[in-house]
Amino acid sequence: MSSRRFWDWFIFPGGIWIALLFAVPLMLVLALSFGHVDDFGRGVYGFSLDNYRDVFDATYVPVLIRSVAYALATVILCLLIGYPVAYFIARYGGKYRYALLAALVIPFFVNYLVRTYAWVALLADQGLINNLLVDWGFTQEPIQMINTPYAVIGGLVYGYIIFMILPLYGSIERMDPSVVEAGKDLYGSPLQTFIHVTLPATQAGILAGCVLVFLPAVGDFVSAQLLGGPDTYMVGNLIQDQFFAASNWPFGSALTVVMMLFLAVWMVFYLRRASKGEAEVL
Amino acid sequence: MSTPFYKPRFLRLFTGLVYLYLFIPITIVIVFSFNSQKSLQVMEGLSFRWYTEFFNDPTLMDSLMTSVQIALVTMVISTIVGTALAIGLVRAHSGTSKGFNILMLVPLITPEIVAGISALLIFSQLGIALSIWTIIIAHITFSISYVTIVVRGRLASIGMEVEEAAQDLGASRWESVRLVLVPALWPAIVAAGLLVFALSFDDFVLSFFTTGEDAQPLPVRIWSMIRFGVSPTINAVGTLMMVVSISAVALAVLIPRLFGRRESGVKVLTGAEE
Repeated sequence: MSSRRFWDWFIFPGGIWIALLFAVPLMLVLALSFGHVDDFGRGVYGFSLDNYRDVFDATYVPVLIRSVAYALATVILCLLIGYPVAYFIARYGGKYRYALLAALVIPFFVNYLVRTYAWVALLADQGLINNLLVDWGFTQEPIQMINTPYAVIGGLVYGYIIFMILPLYGSIERMDPSVVEAGKDLYGSPLQTFIHVTLPATQAGILAGCVLVFLPAVGDFVSAQLLGGPDTYMVGNLIQDQFFAASNWPFGSALTVVMMLFLAVWMVFYLRRASKGEAEVL
Repeated sequence: MSTPFYKPRFLRLFTGLVYLYLFIPITIVIVFSFNSQKSLQVMEGLSFRWYTEFFNDPTLMDSLMTSVQIALVTMVISTIVGTALAIGLVRAHSGTSKGFNILMLVPLITPEIVAGISALLIFSQLGIALSIWTIIIAHITFSISYVTIVVRGRLASIGMEVEEAAQDLGASRWESVRLVLVPALWPAIVAAGLLVFALSFDDFVLSFFTTGEDAQPLPVRIWSMIRFGVSPTINAVGTLMMVVSISAVALAVLIPRLFGRRESGVKVLTGAEE
């Protein structure tokens, strides 16, 4: 047995599993998106663009735009909140670095549904925050917090911020602190040094974090379902409806394909970096 | 050291506030799981009422057992297959390894809802009725990639020398893998398995799309409970699930140390190098 063949045998079980149960099913989604529903409500393969015409109908386009907008807002908030935290742990954490990182990860091992549900308890009209505000006399009437875009985006930030902080931490930790000193020696203000030295040096971590937050945020349906209402529905909610309540699998498939097209650029970008073995990617 | 955040003091304050933001919701879940009353606003008194309710609810207990079974089977199969894949990808320098190196990453960055729908479609296409097994198959698909990445990180730090030495001493190539390479990888394999257990046990979206008529896994049950209205039992279930997941991950971090090697578990899990 040649050397090459020997090692290939190790690849085949896992490789073929992923190919048959991940890649092939993805192709099925693509195929069904050109199909239609028969008289019994079952999806039938076909070749028409009707589903795509429906996706780009005036009813659904706002949902697509909303999903991307919410996901982008989530990415930006995660970056603004996550960068200082990652910077602090990497630069000033000292011997507590690993303890601080471990503490950061703990909340993410509470089930995502339960965590989002906790936010419902906090933000509801009769929730903890409103009760406090009324008791302390800040407001007479409860403030509407749940069923707003802010609540949905807040839920997404809370759900995915860890995927931003970890790669940021990795890239900041790897950065050579002496380059920051050099910036200072050249009479750069702290802000100039940050913009011209620190940010470029940690660019790989920033990009990886943005991609890792954006991808799951676009497809999320839990946050919008629990913290939002019909006005804040995202494409994930629409897709989920097609496979359960509405039972229109071909249309749900077309929505999925369109969503994946939105994500494809980001995914390809990420895979290219990952295949070059850049450390921050995972 | 210069920092753009003016002074480390402010940076520390900001970081502290973010930790508060992260911990307040889960603290509420834990605290209210011990509430003696149904209220989610006022702590009336301490009791194990909601835990008793959970352990006396036969459907919830079925769901718990289902979730544990799914996570265990997923852990065993994906650890074996994923470790083999990692070894193959690092050792083989063929076209095969190049392609699968990239393909293996795709399940990790695909939104879960897409993986869920894809799985649902292939099962219905093949006429496979949804059951605990369809959930397990769906979970294994993404778990393989996790195992491969964790094990590959460790493998990268082990050179070919040990295996070559074993072969010089008369071991066959297969024996050198089984007797030399796998024992050296053992901490990473165990860590990856425990990580996958925690991820599978916690998974909602994939399970949601691939669950059938039999007992639904715990997260799917929680979903319908939340949608039917507020119940403090959810806090108890959430707290218990957190204990299970964190124990699995803590073991994943600690076990490499118990193997008597000096490197930290964090490093094994993240594949980080110093």
